[in-house]
Amino acid sequence: MRLRLALVRLAQFPLILAIIYVLTFFMTWLVPGNPFERTDRKPDPIVIAAMEARFHVGHPAKFLTYYPWRLLHGDFGPSLVNDFTVNEIIGESLPISVTLGLFALVIGIVGGVAIGALAAVRRGGLFDFFSLSLAMIGISIPAFVVGAVLLIVFCVTWKVFPIGRWGHFSDLILPGVALSLAPMAYIARLTRVAMLDVLSSDFVRTARAKGLSRNMVIWKHCLRNAFLPVLTYLGPATAGTLTGSFVVEKVFNIPGLGAHFVNSVLNRDQTLILGIIMVYSLMLLGLNLLVDLAYAFFDPRIVVGAKS
Amino acid sequence: MLRLFAIPAGLIVLLVGAMVWSGAAGQHEEPADFVFINRDDINTLDPKSMSWLQDIRLAYGIWEGLYTLDTKDELTMKAIPGASKPAEISPDGTVYTFHIREDARWSNGDPLLAGDFVFAWRRMLEEPGDYTYLLHYIKGARAYENAYQSRVEALTNGATTRPVDFADVGIVATDERTLRVTLTHPVDFFLDLCAFPPFVPLHEPSMRKIEVRDAKTGQVTYEKNFTHPPALVGNGPYRVEQWEFKKRLRLVASEYYWNKAAVKSHRIDMLSFAGPETAFLKYETDSVDWFAGVTNDVAAGLVAKGRKDIHIFPGFGTYFYSINCRDTLPDGSANPFKDVRVRRAFSMAIDRKPIVEKIGQLGQPEATHFVPPGLFPGYPTPRGTGFDPKRARELLAEAGYPAGKGFPEVALLFTNEGEHTMVAQNVGRQWHDVLNVPINMGGVEVKTFRQRVHSKDFTISRGGWTGDYNDVSTFSDKYLSDSDNNDSDWRNPEYDKLCEEATVERDPAKRLALLSHAEQILCDEMPIIPLYHYVSAYLIRENVKGIPLNPRNMVMLHTVEVHH
Repeated sequence: MRLRLALVRLAQFPLILAIIYVLTFFMTWLVPGNPFERTDRKPDPIVIAAMEARFHVGHPAKFLTYYPWRLLHGDFGPSLVNDFTVNEIIGESLPISVTLGLFALVIGIVGGVAIGALAAVRRGGLFDFFSLSLAMIGISIPAFVVGAVLLIVFCVTWKVFPIGRWGHFSDLILPGVALSLAPMAYIARLTRVAMLDVLSSDFVRTARAKGLSRNMVIWKHCLRNAFLPVLTYLGPATAGTLTGSFVVEKVFNIPGLGAHFVNSVLNRDQTLILGIIMVYSLMLLGLNLLVDLAYAFFDPRIVVGAKS
Repeated sequence: MLRLFAIPAGLIVLLVGAMVWSGAAGQHEEPADFVFINRDDINTLDPKSMSWLQDIRLAYGIWEGLYTLDTKDELTMKAIPGASKPAEISPDGTVYTFHIREDARWSNGDPLLAGDFVFAWRRMLEEPGDYTYLLHYIKGARAYENAYQSRVEALTNGATTRPVDFADVGIVATDERTLRVTLTHPVDFFLDLCAFPPFVPLHEPSMRKIEVRDAKTGQVTYEKNFTHPPALVGNGPYRVEQWEFKKRLRLVASEYYWNKAAVKSHRIDMLSFAGPETAFLKYETDSVDWFAGVTNDVAAGLVAKGRKDIHIFPGFGTYFYSINCRDTLPDGSANPFKDVRVRRAFSMAIDRKPIVEKIGQLGQPEATHFVPPGLFPGYPTPRGTGFDPKRARELLAEAGYPAGKGFPEVALLFTNEGEHTMVAQNVGRQWHDVLNVPINMGGVEVKTFRQRVHSKDFTISRGGWTGDYNDVSTFSDKYLSDSDNNDSDWRNPEYDKLCEEATVERDPAKRLALLSHAEQILCDEMPIIPLYHYVSAYLIRENVKGIPLNPRNMVMLHTVEVHH
């Protein structure tokens, strides 16, 4: 059943990607501006013509037919603006964004579940109030504000971490924390609500009556059930941390995909825009599928898409 | 229970994998002798496509032209012989003969030959870039460029044409180490151009390896990433050891550079930063020796604090507003700015002082003319028109709009970022207050802005111009009737004539007088409203020597020395 589901979903990928491609293509061609006019100076028309011919971008129709063919071969072509090919740019920066996103997600899940569970167990206490306030702050304050504050406190005032570097584990911590706050807050709230629900259910009372210790019940029975809603949220959370990382990447000067994505749009670098969108889309589709499968794996009672 | 841990455990395994994949797991390497943050990130290291200052700065480290720049006089940074011995110039000033130094070598050890210049300049014509027009001073270059492009176009469409002959172009290697260049007319600053990065040589054998030949047209282009190591071969003081996109570029002294005794720093790191704010924090907290992208407000704050490492110095350009001088506005209505009195009124209505003090903040000189003063010794600066609200109102009344009555709404086009928005708001307010005319503020994103300016889709637009080479014509050429950059579409036959006379005038004093006379016409006719002249700001640590405070922001990286 699960295999069939995965196959059906996989079969839908090409169609979804094709639709995304066409939509992006039209949008990149509709916005005014030329990737080859790099400064306020107007280049000789012959220069523009030569560049357009070289990159096959003179006629949108030609490009629409020529470029997907390259894409199918895994070749995203040259960036229209930078000295690198789109493959090189994505190849260098995607791992960085993925690392950052995963790190933030790990902090978010571990921190969020812990805070949420503790808050539920100590319901109404000081910790509960604390965790709720923290969750509120985490959801309301955008990551770039958190990032900037962390940067000033830990890099400028205390000089614990270096600024704008990539290549060591310590470079990952601050941006990871900045990026993790929103999912952590959300997960904490989800866990707390689910936990409270489970704590008051009959089987917990039975387990306690049976003589099991409080900790045993919480760890073994409650947390597991309380984790289900968190799991559902992991799909959107992954998408959020991966796509939302561009602001944090900018604040901490991390050479990830997000920063290139924003620049590619500003530069009207059509091949890079298309390349990054396609990679992002593929990644998100894949991750969502993965989360759905994990859901089924985690709770055998649930058969995703059972009816079909 | 085990299942519960499967997810975090899986995530952690993924994370560790990703860290190794992305190089976040740590690496060791030699520290650099000199670390700097450029004005902005590198756009390209292809000499034919370069137009940004930050790219040009690096080019001076990687390549060397026939001539190079002398850092002794930081104001002018004159051209001095580089890869070539002093040029022989024919008495009529049109034929330049360059003898390449015997000890000049490429970074792979190959000797530098005259043919390498022919190859690079020819490529510049066949695959033109932003500065190809500077080669048009060479006899037959423009004709060759046009003919070549027409042929490619014809072949693409299946037609047949005769091959284009490069022999008609005045770029000839008469022997292995001699290059003869014939110009269309004497060009006083041709040696300055020879020191400009688009004129550097290219190493033909390494480029041949990555050429792409179009099957239909036979046109040769090169893989775009030939500008990366190891494909990149230069003839300058440094070779590029590593270029990580938007992260870092590392230069290491070339063992084959003929003048390697003059190279002070052996290993240089250029760091890339996405924004000037983080870059500034990096300078403040880490071992960065030079930060070239200080923003106005940060610089003003540091000056106020009395910091010794902030340096403010005159720039090589002017900030102004362009006025559309066409008969009609983009919407087809009559253009009131066709009348010179209206243009003068709008200029006289602006008090530049608050703009310079509140927005510029760095003591930018107020501008009433176009060419920044003091850059060209002996150039008589023309007389401009300053702030005079009373006369401004009179002029507007004379033009048929007493007290601004009946004046159509003025569409002011600008880029909606930083200082541009603030200047527009200030100027718009002053026009409204002094002239009582309605202003429509149109702040747009930069690419949209460029498209609208280049298609003359505006009434008044913000503008700025920074000169490229060490001659007044780098400014005056902009307002020639046939210039691509004449954004105002202002045409004045007398202006054109004076500039043309200046190009053939051999007496330097007379030549400057002609150009100054031309600028006087520009000041009187006001197709532009100059606001202020640029200044630059650098942060340089006190133990760093050899970064000249040059108006064109030129820096020869190999002369920079950090005393550790």
